[in-house]
Amino acid sequence: MDIQQLMQIYLSDEETYESGDIIIEEGSTGNWIYIIMEGQAKVTKRTDAGIVTIDTLKKGAIFGEMALFGKLQDKRSASVIAADGPIRLGVLDFQLLLRDYEALSPQLKSLINALIRRLKESNDRVAAIVVEANQKNRQTG
Amino acid sequence: MNSQETVFPVITLKYRAGDLIIKEGDYGISIYKIVEGKVVIFQESEDEEIALSTLGPDEIFGEIAFLNRAKEIRSASAKALEPSVLEVWHPSILLKEYEQMPPMLKYVADQILSRLLRMNKLIVQLTIREQNQRKGIKKQDPLTSQRRYYRKEIDLDCHYRPVGLSSKVRLPGRIKDMSLGGLGMEIVTENTTSFSHMDGDLFVVETTLPNGKGLELEAKIVTLSKGESSKRLILGMSITKLSAGAKSLLGFFLMPC
Repeated sequence: MDIQQLMQIYLSDEETYESGDIIIEEGSTGNWIYIIMEGQAKVTKRTDAGIVTIDTLKKGAIFGEMALFGKLQDKRSASVIAADGPIRLGVLDFQLLLRDYEALSPQLKSLINALIRRLKESNDRVAAIVVEANQKNRQTG
Repeated sequence: MNSQETVFPVITLKYRAGDLIIKEGDYGISIYKIVEGKVVIFQESEDEEIALSTLGPDEIFGEIAFLNRAKEIRSASAKALEPSVLEVWHPSILLKEYEQMPPMLKYVADQILSRLLRMNKLIVQLTIREQNQRKGIKKQDPLTSQRRYYRKEIDLDCHYRPVGLSSKVRLPGRIKDMSLGGLGMEIVTENTTSFSHMDGDLFVVETTLPNGKGLELEAKIVTLSKGESSKRLILGMSITKLSAGAKSLLGFFLMPC
């Protein structure tokens, strides 16, 4: 089954955002999971030294998925902002994905949880290094 | 679901502090769960160990190689920091389960993985740059200070010519990565038959940035290496001349924010 066919089953809605619009805000709660159908989005994190962009997501990329496997009360760990023109998003059926996930064996769940935790850690790490480098640049002029 | 747990093949292993559990670059797809102890995940680069994360009881590692089976190569090393007891999961059953996972969920997992790999690569790149800075390479080469800027991986068509020649000479190339201090360019080996491509040779490089703005600079070859096929070469170049206008243009293009 390719992604187009899957989308027909899992797509619950479509949304469009203009450049600069905030799709997901860091620290907010929410459990929408998105797939980029057209356009690009920036992933940003808030730091003591301001907002840092850590990644750019393109067509086919999924985001918001951390809410699915983490505890539902978890706050969004990064912001996602529409970049470079309008972006068209598919909103995935959360309940359907959650049901798929709950049916997995405990080992497979641990595996996916580990990947998500690792991604969160790596995101934090990148943000921290970028901030540190920027601060040094400023000091040295 | 519980029946799967009881047949799941598990081996328990003990490690002493300092023991290497996984070596970066090795083949292997077993997954480890920490029962007791502490493990550091790190990558090696230029003889430096760059820690990616430190894990404790109930956490698992080794999962990247498992999911990225196209390669089956360990993307990082793991070492015990304390005496540790680990559970090793035989991958075959988990592999089968993974394959049979509902396809949308598998797509989501694959996406998470590719983002994770991208971020880990970025961490290593950024860390090396920081370390080079600390070692004071800056003093030896005035342009190195500029390499602190984000080195961006790109794929841009460009033309270049030896400095001093007419702009009618246009050798084709592709810029694969770029920073304010230098760039990596992929060329066809044929280019080297008509003009010298040696360490220190100076070239004028012209390209058009994705925003449509033209960019011209001068750069010298510092390294030459083989490309993906024998017909291609990668030139590592250090920028030697960059006008103020071109610098700010490039600066904007390279900004990580």
